Amino acid sequence: MNVTFNICHCQASYDSAVTSTELSAYPGEGFEPQLVEHFVSLRRKRVLEIGCGDGRLTFQYAPRALSVLAIDPDRPSIDEAIFQQHARGLSNIEFRIGSIERLPRPGAPFDVALFSWSL
Amino acid sequence: MVHALRRAGRYLRRGGMLISIRPHRTWRPAIAIVAGGRRLPVTTLLNPTFEVNLEAADLALERVVDEGSFALAGVRSARFRSYLDRPSQMRTYLELINPPRPRFPRGGRARLDAMWDSAPRGARIEVMESLVVNALRRR
Repeated sequence: MNVTFNICHCQASYDSAVTSTELSAYPGEGFEPQLVEHFVSLRRKRVLEIGCGDGRLTFQYAPRALSVLAIDPDRPSIDEAIFQQHARGLSNIEFRIGSIERLPRPGAPFDVALFSWSL
Repeated sequence: MVHALRRAGRYLRRGGMLISIRPHRTWRPAIAIVAGGRRLPVTTLLNPTFEVNLEAADLALERVVDEGSFALAGVRSARFRSYLDRPSQMRTYLELINPPRPRFPRGGRARLDAMWDSAPRGARIEVMESLVVNALRRR
C-alpha cells in the first residue's frame, strides 16, 4: 500500500509523500511529528502523551525528546508498547496504564502535552 | 473532554504546549479510484456517531481558550491518502480504525464495486482521510 500526504494551512499547501508497505489507517512514519513540530520542537522536551495506544506515534518522536510519559487505559496496548520499547532499546519512555484524570502529580512539569487521536 | 484538557494543563509548565491530533470534523474520508493519472470519486464515508465526538472536542478546545487557561497557538489541517490494491482490502482497512468506524453510505459500496469492475488494469482505490492539529499554549 502506498500512502501520500497533503498538508493544508490557510491558503498555503504543500505535498509530501511517504511510502508504507503495511496496511494502516493512520498516516505514515514521521508525518504527525512533522505537523506537531510546526508548532513546537520536541527536541529535548519532556512530553506527556495522552492516549498513546501501542506507542505507534510515541516511537516516532521519542528519540528526539528528553523524556516521555505515555499513558493509555488499555492494558493490551500498553503491554505491546512496552514490548516494542524493549525491542527498540528506547530508555526515555515510561509507558503507563491510566488516564489523565487519574495521573499522579509529576515531580517536574511537562513541556508538551500531546493528545494523540484521543480527545 | 474539557476536564481532560484542564487536567493536562495542570501538568504543563507555563508556556508549555498542548497539542491535539484528531480526525477532521468536516473533511470526511473520501473514496476514489485512481488509474492512469485520472481520479474518479466514488463516495465519502459516514460516521455520524464519531462526528458528534469531534464536535464536542472542538467545543472543549474552544472552551479552555475562552476560560483563559490556554491561548490558541494555531490550527493546521492535513490530508493523507492510502492506496488499496483491490476492494476486498477495504474491509480490512476499516477494521483498523478504532470504533465507531466509518461506513459506506447506502449504495456506496455497490458503486465502488461497479466502478472497480469497469476500471482499467492497474487501477487502485484511494482512501483520502483528514486530520486536524490544534496547538494551545498554557498561559
